[in-house]
Amino acid sequence: MIHLSSRLRRAALAATLLAAPFASAHAADVALYPTGPSEDSSFVRFVNTGDTSISLEATGSKAILPLPPSKPASDFQPVAANKALVGAFILGTQRAPIDVTVKPGEFATVFGLVSAKGELSTKVVRELPEDFNALRASLAFYNLDSTCTQAGLKPAGRDVALFENVPNGEAKRRFINPVALSVQLVCAGKPQGAPLALGSLAPGQRYSVFAVPATGGTRVFFTNDALTN
Amino acid sequence: MALSLLAGLSILVLGESHLTIRGSLIESLHDELNKQGAAVHSIGACGASAQDWLVKKTVDCGADRTGTGKAVVRGPDATTTPIGQLIATDKPDLVVLVIGDTMASYDKEAFPKTWAWQSVTSLTKAIAATNTRCIWVGPPWGTPGGQYKKNDVRVQLMSRFLSTNVAPCDYVDSLAFSKPGQWTTTDGQHFTVAGYKSWGAAIAKAIAASDSAKAVARTGAKPAAAAVIPAAPGARK
Repeated sequence: MIHLSSRLRRAALAATLLAAPFASAHAADVALYPTGPSEDSSFVRFVNTGDTSISLEATGSKAILPLPPSKPASDFQPVAANKALVGAFILGTQRAPIDVTVKPGEFATVFGLVSAKGELSTKVVRELPEDFNALRASLAFYNLDSTCTQAGLKPAGRDVALFENVPNGEAKRRFINPVALSVQLVCAGKPQGAPLALGSLAPGQRYSVFAVPATGGTRVFFTNDALTN
Repeated sequence: MALSLLAGLSILVLGESHLTIRGSLIESLHDELNKQGAAVHSIGACGASAQDWLVKKTVDCGADRTGTGKAVVRGPDATTTPIGQLIATDKPDLVVLVIGDTMASYDKEAFPKTWAWQSVTSLTKAIAATNTRCIWVGPPWGTPGGQYKKNDVRVQLMSRFLSTNVAPCDYVDSLAFSKPGQWTTTDGQHFTVAGYKSWGAAIAKAIAASDSAKAVARTGAKPAAAAVIPAAPGARK
């Protein structure tokens, strides 16, 4: 992070800083330091949209990340921006290649999709947050089901839109008050399935609700968008 | 004279280069808090941004001051100390963070919002995990230009960002303390002694009026670690 450090310069700086007491603040002698990173942070996560286990294999390290239906979404992991992340989702003998490059400041979600015929594919959905807020909760809605048109979410039992008209393969995000919340998926203006309880949303936390294809309709599940420590 | 809310409180002040230079906040703010009866431990680390206080990081320069003692100014052997370690050692009633200029990316076209969010919230969560009240002091106006490329538009953006992202810490808006360019800088970013005196006095007043100080005063100060707070291990180097 320190751009201009060298032993010589540091020694000179130390000598300056340790000199006799100053009559004025010798701010001009403070080392020139960066006032932020050269590039914004970027994150990626992986989500299994199906009801069977898939895993993620990283090319190179061959590290395996299982994504069982009981924990279908990984945490967001910090990655270097503008560098390709290469790997594959694995389902039995099927491999769906992953090749994703994340821009500075972006949160990318790589979905592993299993079709009704059992074919494995990938889909990348990107978010570039407009803002953050520690006083409110941040909720995103991802629509991964092409059969759910005019996809939206409403608070359960209320005719108010939290999200509406989210196209297939896209996401929208908004701030909401940090309260206990259940949501109802809406496709083409009609409620689909049972309400999904999100629990008590905490201020400053980020969450995602996913609408994914399922036998007999569209299924929704949600996750806290935690960052890997 | 009315007794200050800060009397008897233990306050840990952490910050960037504005707390590392003789005549800077390590004297003006520290002295003001001392005058109000607080037991103060101030540590400055040049260039340290929020997440640097989660680890021990070597920085170009720093300073450490405890109670009524003189500031110990350090060169390239200065380090930050993880906040959890500092809080465990000092057991402060209040943590005051003076961090903003090191995170504003004045010299970059784009503000690294995602990085700043990650960095700020990592530190506030670490402090909240210790059940310690905190106050975040945002950046003041500087003089446009200079080697750091500080500018009014970005400092306003940084201040707005911090104001909505430092909770549960209280936010102190330093931009409200002066007009742009009112306090003379030596390099666009660091003030003369007069500027630091004004800023330090204004911060101390804001701390005394903060919800955090009122809450601590209401519930009583924690048992102090000691009347004289020991310097952090990282700062003794």
